[in-house]
Amino acid sequence: MDPKTQATADADEDLIASEYLTFTLGSEEYAIDILKVQEIRGYESPTLIANAPPFIKGVINLRGIIVPIVDLRVKFNLGNIEYTPFTVVIILNVAGRVIGVVVDSVSDVISLNQSQIRQAPDFSGSFDTKYILGLATVERRMLIVTDIERLMTSADMALIDSASE
Amino acid sequence: MAIDMSQFYQVFFEESAEHLAAMESLLLELDIDNPDMEQLNAIFRAAHSIKGSAGTFGFTDLAETTHILENLLDRIRKEELTLRPEMVDAFLEAGDVLRSMLEAHQGRGAVDSETVEAICSRLRELSSDKPPSPAPVVQAPPVEPVSDALSVAAADDEVAVRIPVDTGRRLYDIQFLPTEIAAKGVGVDNLLDELRSLGELDIACRPDNSADSPGFWEIRLLTAAEPESFADQIDFVAENGAWRITEDKSVATDGTTAFGFFSNSPGIPDEERGYGFFSKPTPESAADDSYGFFDPLPAPVNSSPPVMPEAGEGYGFFEPLPVATQVPGPAIAEEGDGFGFFAPLPVGSPEVAKATAPVAEEGDGFGFFEPLPTPLAVPEVSIPAEAVPPKPVAVAASSGTKPTAKAVPAAAGAGDSSIRVSVEKVDQLINLVGELVITQAMLLQTAAQMQEQAPERLVTGLAQLERNTRDLQESVMSIRMMPISFVFSRFPRVVRDLSSKLGKQVELKTSGETTELDKSLIERITDPLTHLIRNSLDHGIELPEKRVAAGKSPTGTITLKAYHQGGNIVIEVGDDGAGIPRDRILAKARERGLPVSDQMSDQEVFGLIFEAGFSTAEQITDVSGRGVGMDVVRRNIQSMGGRVEIDSMLGIGTRMTVRLPLTLAILDGMSVAVGDQTYILPLSYVIESLQPEAGDIKTLSNQARVIQVRGEYLPVVILHELFGIKSRWSDLTQGIMIVLDADGVKAALFVDALVGQHQVVIKSLEANYRRVPGISGATIMGDGHVALILDVSAIAGMARSIMQKAG
Repeated sequence: MDPKTQATADADEDLIASEYLTFTLGSEEYAIDILKVQEIRGYESPTLIANAPPFIKGVINLRGIIVPIVDLRVKFNLGNIEYTPFTVVIILNVAGRVIGVVVDSVSDVISLNQSQIRQAPDFSGSFDTKYILGLATVERRMLIVTDIERLMTSADMALIDSASE
Repeated sequence: MAIDMSQFYQVFFEESAEHLAAMESLLLELDIDNPDMEQLNAIFRAAHSIKGSAGTFGFTDLAETTHILENLLDRIRKEELTLRPEMVDAFLEAGDVLRSMLEAHQGRGAVDSETVEAICSRLRELSSDKPPSPAPVVQAPPVEPVSDALSVAAADDEVAVRIPVDTGRRLYDIQFLPTEIAAKGVGVDNLLDELRSLGELDIACRPDNSADSPGFWEIRLLTAAEPESFADQIDFVAENGAWRITEDKSVATDGTTAFGFFSNSPGIPDEERGYGFFSKPTPESAADDSYGFFDPLPAPVNSSPPVMPEAGEGYGFFEPLPVATQVPGPAIAEEGDGFGFFAPLPVGSPEVAKATAPVAEEGDGFGFFEPLPTPLAVPEVSIPAEAVPPKPVAVAASSGTKPTAKAVPAAAGAGDSSIRVSVEKVDQLINLVGELVITQAMLLQTAAQMQEQAPERLVTGLAQLERNTRDLQESVMSIRMMPISFVFSRFPRVVRDLSSKLGKQVELKTSGETTELDKSLIERITDPLTHLIRNSLDHGIELPEKRVAAGKSPTGTITLKAYHQGGNIVIEVGDDGAGIPRDRILAKARERGLPVSDQMSDQEVFGLIFEAGFSTAEQITDVSGRGVGMDVVRRNIQSMGGRVEIDSMLGIGTRMTVRLPLTLAILDGMSVAVGDQTYILPLSYVIESLQPEAGDIKTLSNQARVIQVRGEYLPVVILHELFGIKSRWSDLTQGIMIVLDADGVKAALFVDALVGQHQVVIKSLEANYRRVPGISGATIMGDGHVALILDVSAIAGMARSIMQKAG
């Protein structure tokens, strides 16, 4: 295979677009793989879980399944944390589990190909860069493309037994 | 045709395991001195089924071992060998070996080839140590003196098969009508090849190849194989059940033997030894190849030959054939192997009787013969013989033939009309019904809120719905229920093995085997119960001499009892042994530094044997005595939501009582409110609830609180403090104290209020979240909200640790 076709193949791969769901947390906009999203629903007050970290709001009944609800705004210290009728819960299906995530709003479904996703600069902060796949710019907005599965199954989310130990 | 056989492996494993279990229980029931033929046959069938399917799936090691086992069994059931105790032992051992082979094939454990070899040679030895008695099966000597070897003269029109003295081989007469496809293709050839590989094959009648329609085949097979093993192949080739296999026990084949299949004469001379369906019903010929239960043929007339055939191996049921005339009842249903049900054929007159004979004889004659309403006592009987249309009468319920043949072995399996469904599907069903119950409760609540505004019909409709959902839930739940005999059935073996090992004489008595409990519990209760029984055997029952010295019968008794009590199932393991020496346990406990006193109740003292590492056995045997075990038993039972108690009297015996909830999926709960949250307490732990008075609650070192209830100081657990919730009350006297008993540990739990009592469906919190200390699960309330179920044992444990910190 000569370098030219190799380059074309790469370019082709770059052009294969995946769809992402974007949502906002405070002033930041995040994008996650839409295939991990099961559904989007309104916020309902969950049942508290004793001695759980503050970002775990509790559990709800999703058609017979007990689903934990995580408030990412609390986790990332973003925005005003208030629960209004417009507060949105994204129900994720990651690692064989169903988890609900509270976000400020869901904005869009967009297509991004690999070439549009840039490497994120290393920075330290509350948000570990290992969960960031990259940054993408769409219509002058910056999207933080997040590996939501890795984030949700990580030890600091305290959602899974084995990870938390 | 490439079929991925591995997809059927699981079924094979399950079935074989079931067959092994059935075999074992039958072996244990067997009366050695006077074995019941039916039981021996059942054991043989179990072994045979394993062999058959093992061969099919290519597990040759299993098939070979079972084959040896089967050989010995076969000789016993044919009464060539008498059953001896060591044979039963060998069979049981072989069963174990087979089981371990099965497990090895499933990837669990390995098989020790030496053990396999050892058991095989032992079985061979057993089956060969007595010369076989002359074959009782072969009755008719060969007509033609043929050389000692089998000699088969395969000719188109002539057959000479010499029956060998080897009783393992039998001659089968196989007749079938191949399907068009099979006849034109290679189906029939394949079948013939297949049969040839089983033994000596001889084609007695083959259809004219040039004929357009597939013709009738008749072949004879001399083989050691069981008819079941090739019946399926024949069935595959043959047109809709148009086949049959007759075992020929008395073949006197002399070439001229008439395969009088389509002979229209109702009374074939008996000498011709018909292979026909309908030869003359003399007792002799009937006994020859009849496989039928012949109900007495009322032949009230003297000239009629007495037709009382001995029942052969019984395929088919014959209704009484009232022969009302003087005519020798012309062979209405002298059925070769009688795959069929014959309803009464009222024979009214000679003519009619004659007419009826060909009726049944035509065609393949498998099926249900409907009663022939023949005009009785009508003088002008004008039905000529040929007027009765033969075919329509012999309505071949052809598909029914095979089940009939197979029904006989299956009958021993006591109504095996069950289907195999994966547990997942059942669980899914249970979940869905759980949803339905919740939705129904929600609707009911909504209607209740509407009060008077709710239309009458809605209210009655909802009431109906409630009843129906409850019924539905109950029946769905019962799918998972299994009789406890699944557990009990393994204990006779345990007791048998252990008692002989320990030199004790023990009899196991079981009762309440039909008591049902949840499948998941069945699986989990087996180990603890086995342990309790071993314990009773080892520690409880004394040696025979000791028993006699104590004035008891030398044979000890272990009783296993299961029954329902309230919402629980109770399993008792009792023995009439020595009982538990209270002082020795106390001494041992002191030795180990456990906090004990002489004032402890018997229950508490006996409870000590469940402590980890506690053993009073003077010496460690390989049965028990290491002190591990009883604590595991208790832990296992507790993890199932049950508890175990011991009663014992020195010299009289010991009784261990295990109490389990009926199911793990549903819980009787009491809902309590704390702040704005609702929690569920398993009702079985709740003793009482009370509103504390101001002075009732005391503190210890100003940290831990205790409350005096009926003279006892109980540690207080304040739920809202434990869970960090805001309580409705600032003062403890406004709330409610619930006294809990979690496996002997008592505590008082402070909550804001009692809400009600519910049956709740337990949902896992861990499926999508993780374990939460103090919470055992979750459930969905009538309003759709989630309520968490409290883990009472953990909470009582927390109370204890608070006390210990304070103390």
